[in-house]
Amino acid sequence: MITLGLIIDEYHLEKKVEEFMKYMRGRAKINLYVEERYLLDFSNTTFEEDIFIVKAKGDLVINFAKLIDRETQIPIINSPTSIWLCYNRFLNSTLLRKIGVRVPEFSLNPIRKDPPFENYIVKNIRDQRNYAFNPLIKEKKGKITVSDKRALLEAQGGQENYQYLYYQQFIRSKWEYKVYCIGDELFFYKQIPVLIDPDKMKSREEIKEIPELSEIALKAIKAVGLKIASLDFLQSENGDFYLTDINSSPNFNYIQNGPKLIGDYLIRMAKA
Amino acid sequence: MKIGILSKRNKMFAAKIKQFLESEGHVVELYTLENLNINQSLLNNDFYIMKSKHMFFLYAGYFLDTHNIPVIPNVNLSYKHKNRIESHYLIKQAGLLGPSTYMGMVDVLKTKLKKTDYPFIQKPLMGSGSRGVRFITSSDDLKSTDGGPIYLEKFIQGIHYLSYFIDNKVCVYEKLPLVNEHARVKAIEMTQDLIDITLRWKNFYSMLFGHLDIVRDENTNKLHVVDPGSFPEFSNWNCSVEPEKEVCRLILNEYSKQLRIK
Repeated sequence: MITLGLIIDEYHLEKKVEEFMKYMRGRAKINLYVEERYLLDFSNTTFEEDIFIVKAKGDLVINFAKLIDRETQIPIINSPTSIWLCYNRFLNSTLLRKIGVRVPEFSLNPIRKDPPFENYIVKNIRDQRNYAFNPLIKEKKGKITVSDKRALLEAQGGQENYQYLYYQQFIRSKWEYKVYCIGDELFFYKQIPVLIDPDKMKSREEIKEIPELSEIALKAIKAVGLKIASLDFLQSENGDFYLTDINSSPNFNYIQNGPKLIGDYLIRMAKA
Repeated sequence: MKIGILSKRNKMFAAKIKQFLESEGHVVELYTLENLNINQSLLNNDFYIMKSKHMFFLYAGYFLDTHNIPVIPNVNLSYKHKNRIESHYLIKQAGLLGPSTYMGMVDVLKTKLKKTDYPFIQKPLMGSGSRGVRFITSSDDLKSTDGGPIYLEKFIQGIHYLSYFIDNKVCVYEKLPLVNEHARVKAIEMTQDLIDITLRWKNFYSMLFGHLDIVRDENTNKLHVVDPGSFPEFSNWNCSVEPEKEVCRLILNEYSKQLRIK
C-alpha cells in the first residue's frame, strides 16, 4: 500500500475530497497536511510519502509544495510552479500565447486605463482564493463588459489593493467547453456559459472527444507543467476555440468516477 | 537606443540612471505604476531595466521576456529576490548560510513554537528591505494582516552588515538590524570573508550588481545572508566608482552581450 501526502486547506478538505478519501481507504495510507494546522519548518526535509497531491493553492500550500519539490525526490502533483502559473492569469496567458495556444486578447492596466480592445471581461489577477465567480454584466450599444466583483474589490481597496485590473477579451460563445485532464487521459464536457446560466451543472453534458481541443489541452498542460487539470474553452462565431481558464485544482466530483480515476492515477504514479 | 525603466519611483536612483543614459544619447522612458500598461505597447523599446520588483513590474518583465525583449537584471532572478522562500533557496543553492525559516497560521505558530525558539523576524512573504518587517520576541507579538499564514525567520544575534557589489567592486558597511538600505551605516574595515561571500553570491548567479544583508553570528562567528537585493539604490555607496555610471555601463554591456548571443 502506498503512502500519499494530501496537501490541502480546510475548505477543500470539508467540501471536495470526501469521495476521494473514501475510495482511497484500503488502497493508500493518507497523511494530511492542512494549511490551517501545519507548521512549515523549512529545515525539515524528511518525509515518508511515496507521492504528494496538492489540493489547494494558498501561500503555505504552495511553499510546502516547493519544499517537497526542491528538497526531495518524491513526485508531487501538481508541481508548485504549475500551480503558481495557473493562478497568475497574466503569466499563464503570456506563456500560452507564446507557445501558440489561442487565448483571448488580454491586458493588465492601471484602473483608469481602458484595455486596447472593446468587449472584455475583468477577472481577478491572481485566482488564488476559494471563492466563486460573481459577474457584473453591462451591455450597451452592442458592446459588452463583464466584471468579476472580487476582481474590483481586490484592485480597489481589498486586501490586495493594487489598483490594477486584468482584462480578457470577451468571446461570445454558445457553449463553454470543459476538458478535464488526468495525465494523458482527457474527458470532455460542454455547458451553457456561466455568464448566461450561473448554474453550470444544470446544462453540463459529457461529449465525445473534440480532437482540436485534445491537441490544445495537451499542449497547454505540458507547457504549464500540469498532470491534473481542467481547461475552459469558448468557441467564437467563426469556430475558433479560445482557452479562457486553466485550473490546477479541478473538482473531479463533477466527472464520472472522478475520485477513482484520480486515486488510480496517483497509485500508478507513486509506483512508477 | 530606446530603453524602458521599470521603477516604482521616478526619482532617486532610477532618475539618475535615466539622466545618465539620456546624456549618452539614448531615448529613455520611465514606467511607474501610474503609466505602466502591460500589453503590446511595451514592445516598442529595445530593452528594459528592471529597477523595481513590484508584482506588476515582474509581470511586465515576464511579458517582455516571452516577447524576446531583453530585461536587465534577469526577471526570474529578480522575482526570486523578492519572494522570501525563493530567496531562502537561492542562499542555500549558492552554498551560503541563511536563517532558519518557518511559515504557519498565527494560532499554529503560537502552539507549536517553544518559548526558547524566540526571537524571530516576521517578514512579508513578498518583499525586500525592511518594509513590513517586525521583531517578534514572544507569541504575543505574532500577527497576520490578512488572516493568512505568516513567514518567520530566526533572529540571529550578531553584527549586521550591508554589502554592496558593482561588478567585482565590493563595499561593506556595518548597519543596525532591521533598518533599510538608506539608514545610516558605519564604515568598517572589510574582512576577506565578507568580500568572499559577496563575490560568491555575485558569481554564482552571474549578477552585475546588487547587495546582501549579512549577519555575523556572535556565537559561531559564521556569516549568514539574511536578505539579498537585486537592484539597490546604492544610497550608502561611498567607494571609488560612481554607481549610476558603472551600473549603466554594466547594463549596456550586458545588453550588447545578449544581442551577440541572439
